[in-house]
Amino acid sequence: MARLVLDKITKTFDRTQVINGIDLTIPHGEFIVFVGPSGCGKTTVLRMISGLESTTSGRILIGDKDVTYVEPSKRKVAMVFQSYALFPHMTTAENIGFSLRLAKKPKEEIKRRVAEVAQILRIEPLLTRKPAQLSGGQRQRVAIGRSIIRNPEIFLFDEPLSNLDAALRIQMRLEIARLHKRLGATLVYVTHDQTEAMTLANRIVVFNTGRIEQAGTPMELYDNPANLFVAGFIGSPAMNFIPSQLTHAGGKVVVKAGSVAITVEKELARTDAKEIILGIRPEHLAPSSPSDKDFVARVEIVEELGAESLVYLHNNFMTDPITMRSDPSIRFKPGEEVPIKINRAKMHLFAKDGALL
Amino acid sequence: MKFMVDPQSIAASRKPFNPWPVAIFVCLVCLAILFLAPTIGVLLSSVKTTRAIAFGELWSIPSELYWGNYARILTNPAVHQYLINTLLVTIPATIASITLGLLGGYVFSKLPFKGGNLLFLILVSGMFFPPQVILIPLYRLFNGIGLLDTLWPIIFIHTALGIPICTLLMRNFFATVPNALREAAILEGANEWQVLTRVALPISLPAIAVLATLQFTWIWNDFLWPLIFTQSDEKRTIMLGLVNLKGQYSVAWGVQGALSLIASLPTLIVFLFFQRYFIKGMTMGAVKG
Repeated sequence: MARLVLDKITKTFDRTQVINGIDLTIPHGEFIVFVGPSGCGKTTVLRMISGLESTTSGRILIGDKDVTYVEPSKRKVAMVFQSYALFPHMTTAENIGFSLRLAKKPKEEIKRRVAEVAQILRIEPLLTRKPAQLSGGQRQRVAIGRSIIRNPEIFLFDEPLSNLDAALRIQMRLEIARLHKRLGATLVYVTHDQTEAMTLANRIVVFNTGRIEQAGTPMELYDNPANLFVAGFIGSPAMNFIPSQLTHAGGKVVVKAGSVAITVEKELARTDAKEIILGIRPEHLAPSSPSDKDFVARVEIVEELGAESLVYLHNNFMTDPITMRSDPSIRFKPGEEVPIKINRAKMHLFAKDGALL
Repeated sequence: MKFMVDPQSIAASRKPFNPWPVAIFVCLVCLAILFLAPTIGVLLSSVKTTRAIAFGELWSIPSELYWGNYARILTNPAVHQYLINTLLVTIPATIASITLGLLGGYVFSKLPFKGGNLLFLILVSGMFFPPQVILIPLYRLFNGIGLLDTLWPIIFIHTALGIPICTLLMRNFFATVPNALREAAILEGANEWQVLTRVALPISLPAIAVLATLQFTWIWNDFLWPLIFTQSDEKRTIMLGLVNLKGQYSVAWGVQGALSLIASLPTLIVFLFFQRYFIKGMTMGAVKG
């Protein structure tokens, strides 16, 4: 069973610490996705797992074996690169069978295993072609083929779909999900595309400035973000952040933003903060009757996406527009004044430093 | 309705005459003639008798081709020895300089180490030393170890002098090969030597072809080093042989012309052989795009 454990790993480049003590246990067979903004360290951690990047301190365990100082090829990991990294002078079959040739396996065995992999990935007709004669999606399949032929215990995918067009990306996403189901191996996947993360992952790890901000299932992260960063990073369109004040009235905690005052019904971990940020997802705002409204906003722009509409609302308590996700059957006109209700159960309150209240 | 063409608008749309392309073309033709004239002169003289040349008919088209000069050259055992000597120098020196340059270029490009850039600068600065500066020390060195009048000093010197340019070109070429290819090969179980021989080397054939052509031509055509380090006729290379062939009292232009052309054939063959590798886009398809 190939459990992967990252035990307080750090990485320093020229005195700059880029990975600040990552602790993470990935059980066998899990599809885990690393997400985060550019430069957050997600790819560095992936490369540290592969052995392409050394570990400054801490330990990496695969199974029960400490592989921190083990050569990349001896770690039983396979990596699919963002750029595919196919050998241009080799045919598809030669690319896929490269590791077996290096291991001096018999020719018959190489041929048989290449054929098996080609069948799994449906690339049999491409075996005699060179990478230059393949499309982006085909190259990606060959790169995946090269990784699965070695039966690794852990697959590492470094933004594998970022060079593909939108339609192909969706298709390949499905194929990767199927492949994971079929192989049952542990899979670590790096992406900055949160749709990929939400759809593929058993668990998502959100990275920021070389640290893990939160790890959890996609819906855990979406519904219960641990801090302002995760709340803003997960979800598209992003969560609305409304600068507010926390006050106490009649033994109750009240959130005030401009003329809006909302009584908080749930228990807060901290009630001492005064200046806070109210987070609300676009689907948790809804048009309401004038008597039931929390505030009135002016419609600025409406984006009709077919299955839903995104309404950008101008208001008197913040300069940026608030985004509301709405049913497309409700028609909004730019300039129209709309009464809006906030779903109280779905409010997230954060301190100024980003911590969840 | 008829489509009417306004002749004035056509005249207005014509571009004004630009004399520059014409001037550049004329300049290039003049330069090409200047460049080709000696070769044509040699070619013409090689198929004429010494008598005809002596009568000042060097540039005229011969009414009859005289192959005697070629026959004299090809049956001359000294010429055979010159050619063999030149090959004995050129082939090992070309292979050695390119091999060392390939290894150096790979290390400087893909395996960076502390002080690597400084070492690379020192290595490349070797290109800028005029040979005259190192001539006397090298003569004394090879005299001291008893290698004068052998081909070894020429092989060693050409190998050494070739390393900077070979390293520079190979380093710059390897810099264009994506690091992901090396990393992918390492993850597949390749060691550094296998990365070089199975991945980097096959991809770098175009660069090696260019280098091989340059080095071969440069070493083959060298006059200075064989002149310094060889004395006996049996150790001379073709370029010195060319000078040796002039007669005692007169210059045998025809024979020299024929030998000049024969002497330049190997470099032409090498160029034609490697030309097929001079293709762009060997790395195409390796990475995204």
